[in-house]
Amino acid sequence: MQFSESWLRSFVDPAIDSEALAHLLTMSGLEVEERNPVAPPFTGVVVAKVLTVVPHPNADRLRLCTVDAGGAAPLSIVCGAPNVREGMVVACATVGAALPGGLNIKRAQVRKVDSEGMLCSARELGLSEEADGLMDLPATLVPGTPLRAALGLDDMKVVVKLTPNRADCLSLHGIAREVAALTGAALTLPPCTPVAATIDDRLPVAIDPGAHDLCGRFAGRVIRGVDARAATPDWMKQRLERSGQRPISALVDISNYVMLELGQPSHVFDLDRIRNGRLGVRWARPGEQATLLNDTTVDLAADFGVITDGDQPEAIAGIMGGGHTAVSLDTRNVYVESAFWWPAAIAGRARRLNFTTEAGHRFERGVDFSRAVDCLERITALILSICGGSAGPVDDQVLALPARSPVRLRVARCNRVIGIDFTRESIARIFDRLGFAWTVSAEAGGDVFTVTPPAHRFDLSIEEDLIEEVVRIHGYDDLPAIPPASVAWMRVLPETRRSADTVRAALAGRDFFEALNFGFVDPRWEADFAGAGTDAPAPIALVNPIASQLAVMRSTLIGGLVANVQHNVNRRQARVRLFELGRVFRRDPTVADGPLSVAGIDQPLRLAAIAHGDADPEQWGVKPRPVDFYDLKADLEAILSPRVARFEQAVHPALHPGRCARVVLDGRAIGWIGELHPRWQQQYELPAATALFEIDWTAVAEGMLPVASDLSRFPPVRRDLAFVVDRGVRAQDLVDSVMAERPPYVEGFEIFDSYAGSGIESGKKSLAFRVLLQDTRKTLTDGEVDSSIARLVEIIATRHDGRLRQ
Amino acid sequence: MQAELDRIVSEALASFANAGDSPRLEQDKARFLGKTGSLTELLKSLGKLEPSERKEAGAAINAAKATIEAALDARRRAIADEALQARLAQETIDVSLPGRGRGRGAIHPVVRTQQRVEAIFRSIGFDIADGPEIETDWYNFTALNNPENHPARSMQDTFYIDGHDSEGKPLLLRTHTSPMQVRHARTHKPPIKVIAPGRTYRVDSDATHSPMFNQVEGLWIDEDISFAHLKGVYTDFLQTFFETDQLKVRFRPSYFPFTEPSAEVDMAFDSGPLKGRWLEISGAGQVHPTVVRNFGLDPERYVGFAFGSGLERLTMLRYGIGDLRLFFENDLRFLQQFQY
Repeated sequence: MQFSESWLRSFVDPAIDSEALAHLLTMSGLEVEERNPVAPPFTGVVVAKVLTVVPHPNADRLRLCTVDAGGAAPLSIVCGAPNVREGMVVACATVGAALPGGLNIKRAQVRKVDSEGMLCSARELGLSEEADGLMDLPATLVPGTPLRAALGLDDMKVVVKLTPNRADCLSLHGIAREVAALTGAALTLPPCTPVAATIDDRLPVAIDPGAHDLCGRFAGRVIRGVDARAATPDWMKQRLERSGQRPISALVDISNYVMLELGQPSHVFDLDRIRNGRLGVRWARPGEQATLLNDTTVDLAADFGVITDGDQPEAIAGIMGGGHTAVSLDTRNVYVESAFWWPAAIAGRARRLNFTTEAGHRFERGVDFSRAVDCLERITALILSICGGSAGPVDDQVLALPARSPVRLRVARCNRVIGIDFTRESIARIFDRLGFAWTVSAEAGGDVFTVTPPAHRFDLSIEEDLIEEVVRIHGYDDLPAIPPASVAWMRVLPETRRSADTVRAALAGRDFFEALNFGFVDPRWEADFAGAGTDAPAPIALVNPIASQLAVMRSTLIGGLVANVQHNVNRRQARVRLFELGRVFRRDPTVADGPLSVAGIDQPLRLAAIAHGDADPEQWGVKPRPVDFYDLKADLEAILSPRVARFEQAVHPALHPGRCARVVLDGRAIGWIGELHPRWQQQYELPAATALFEIDWTAVAEGMLPVASDLSRFPPVRRDLAFVVDRGVRAQDLVDSVMAERPPYVEGFEIFDSYAGSGIESGKKSLAFRVLLQDTRKTLTDGEVDSSIARLVEIIATRHDGRLRQ
Repeated sequence: MQAELDRIVSEALASFANAGDSPRLEQDKARFLGKTGSLTELLKSLGKLEPSERKEAGAAINAAKATIEAALDARRRAIADEALQARLAQETIDVSLPGRGRGRGAIHPVVRTQQRVEAIFRSIGFDIADGPEIETDWYNFTALNNPENHPARSMQDTFYIDGHDSEGKPLLLRTHTSPMQVRHARTHKPPIKVIAPGRTYRVDSDATHSPMFNQVEGLWIDEDISFAHLKGVYTDFLQTFFETDQLKVRFRPSYFPFTEPSAEVDMAFDSGPLKGRWLEISGAGQVHPTVVRNFGLDPERYVGFAFGSGLERLTMLRYGIGDLRLFFENDLRFLQQFQY
């Protein structure tokens, strides 16, 4: 809501300056978002009348003028503006004037002719961007009057950001009422004196009985013989402009003016263009259309209210008038409508048509239904005085108005909610200032106020609404800040649950930077990295994405991280290591509605990490080598520790098929690890090796409670064994075989080397293991160790065709 | 005899001093103390003396021997010390070279803020909750007293996804973390003290708006948690978060469908580039009775407050970050500034 401060002060004029007034409004919930002077500072500029204009003796383009600037004698001023003419009323900067931009006016000689001031354009005074000659002021202005006073330039344009509940402040009257309540200053309202009918003409308006939930009240009258070409008075134009409304024509301007002034949207029909000589109000029928005054034709749903010409929709009720009956400069006879449309019948409709209107904005929030006729009278008076004409009688159909049910406020409840002790008297004073009708009674639980909300308030229906008014007028600044006392229960995560903070710190400690990516992604990423549309179902699409590359919900974190690597590579980063903890989304019919779930949609948290470039940062003491599968595997194993995952060769659309594993923990697949598929590495222009993993967060979050065991007092025996096996044999398989059978005393069987090359026949490789043997009750003899090792060698020979390397 | 001893001692001391290394020193030792060393020879000659002279001469020889052995020990230590010094000098490294191995990563600044907010509220007994980002209309709007067509809904432009909830309403991306108020409160008994940080989405993208951003929701419901308590807790929170008691906090009337009375919370620093400017930091208020009812609680019995704050905003003010977009570009040059 934008308005001019001087207009506001014409209704209520508290003895505080502009800044204090703005602060007062802000602190009462009407947030002043902007406050701009209508004119920059300048002094010494007065209204002047041009008396004579003669050519400058020494310059072709200059003229020598004498002007009456209110002084004893006319001033002689040289002027270069082409539009200067005798009799013109202009703005004159007199000697000593200070203009915007630092220009000071002095007595001067222009081409050897004295000049005692300067005639100004709007641009020179900072009133306009355009420089189209001198300002042509109204002839009614008196020479010598300071221009700022004559044009009311000591004014501010104020923009208030209104919350949706405060529809009552969508007018100057409403804001003035608020200021009066806050300051106690007197409120003067514009006159709404009834205009007596001088003609008998009426327009029949039939309100459909089924539409009383649309139209609660419909007032209107005919006015004949108006001059639609009459000029809108300057004072009205000025107020409209300073309130952000562009003047259009007198009839439209008057309607807009009264809407700004009193908050009542109205509509002026061209009476002669109402096809059947009558209007109707009803709900739209499916398939109907309306052509609006902005020349658009819209399809109407059955929950749109319409004003018809008795048959076809002509206007959308409470939102916008129709094109056919809109007033034009040729309009002679009009019908003025001032109605009450139910908020629920208007709410959201314009938005569905992708526009908003001032009328719709007000009606959907609630317009003071008690003043429809007052406003109609105000509009009539303004039309008659500006455009002339004769008014017919007012028709006022009252069908169904909002009930103003009394609302109770218990003083004790108010004090419990707010946390301070209001007295019955202090609350009564606040209600009086707000102009609420109230009574108070003493009941068992304490004093109880009963308030009847005024017609202009649509936000007072429950006790809390009144409590809010009490504390609002009391002032939030005066509210104490009290720390609450509470019961001291201890709350901490179970020891076996790892917090996200712990895991993040661990990954940051392993040289990963945390990334945050959007939940919606490029559909291409889903196809490339999750196999969407081929290996996997299509991703969940957004209905109204903000951009085509943010159109689907991610089912994997990989796309975002690859894009982040690309972003950094493009900024000359050779080594990028990132991780993200975030949700992914996929359809899953087995998910039911629950305390933390939405039926049909699985949205688990995942943890993913990516590493691109060298394994280590470039440094003096370490030989550079590209990051690979095993680097990321070490990171992942560290994150999962002390739990131990298994890594099973498998295929994933994002990953190199030979360097990719499914991660399995306790028999459950929890994610993937691998090197980025060379195809994507090339396509996403990643110059170096890239490895990544992505796993379910729940698997990471589950820790393990340590269970201590006794230490053996006897020394362990260590034997190192190397086996030659086929190249395709996996180390894990050997470990599994040995640990499944566990020859006596074998406590550990761990790989420490893998070798293929000279000395090993081709197609084979050597795997070296450290075997730990131990008995908790005695020291092992060589014989016991040897027989155990022999069994172990036999297992590997029979199961994996491995032979001991000599 | 004494003269002879004095000569041997001084000869020994001189040759030890000249011995530059350990083998040479041991050779020299043999010359004096070895089996055929000059001092040993003298000892052997003791037997030829008269018994009356023998005692005195023996004492003199032993004194000379002690002097020579002491000198030998001292020289041995000196030579060992020199060798150690030489080795240490030779092993000296350039300590200014950087340490070896991996670098250090960092936690994202917005998450860092989230962790700090969690720690602050945990310190006064709050739980932390997290929940779905694809939400139903009921949890995101209706339960929060924000019915369909209500003008307040246009305050948040909502992303919808292709899909419907169990009531046939289109599914959406939560526009705020407030649905977690409802989800948490419906599954817990008062006193309910919880914060719910997380990602939220709105159809808005420009220099100061990101279509995805992070919020933290707070909720405290008990039998008499008042608006004045809200002011107390939130003021304490801001002063704790920014680590200054000089931070000014003001509450300003506002409107949210899910709270009443509602407040916009502004803060102002007392120093720094933003000194004295009021900055919007949170929306808050007493939970609306309809919402309390949707928690499954009796609003006559239970009252309390809720607030929602933007984590990006807190982060920007805390670390002096000027551009919201930096948070989601994940540029290492930005992230590296938050190493720890």
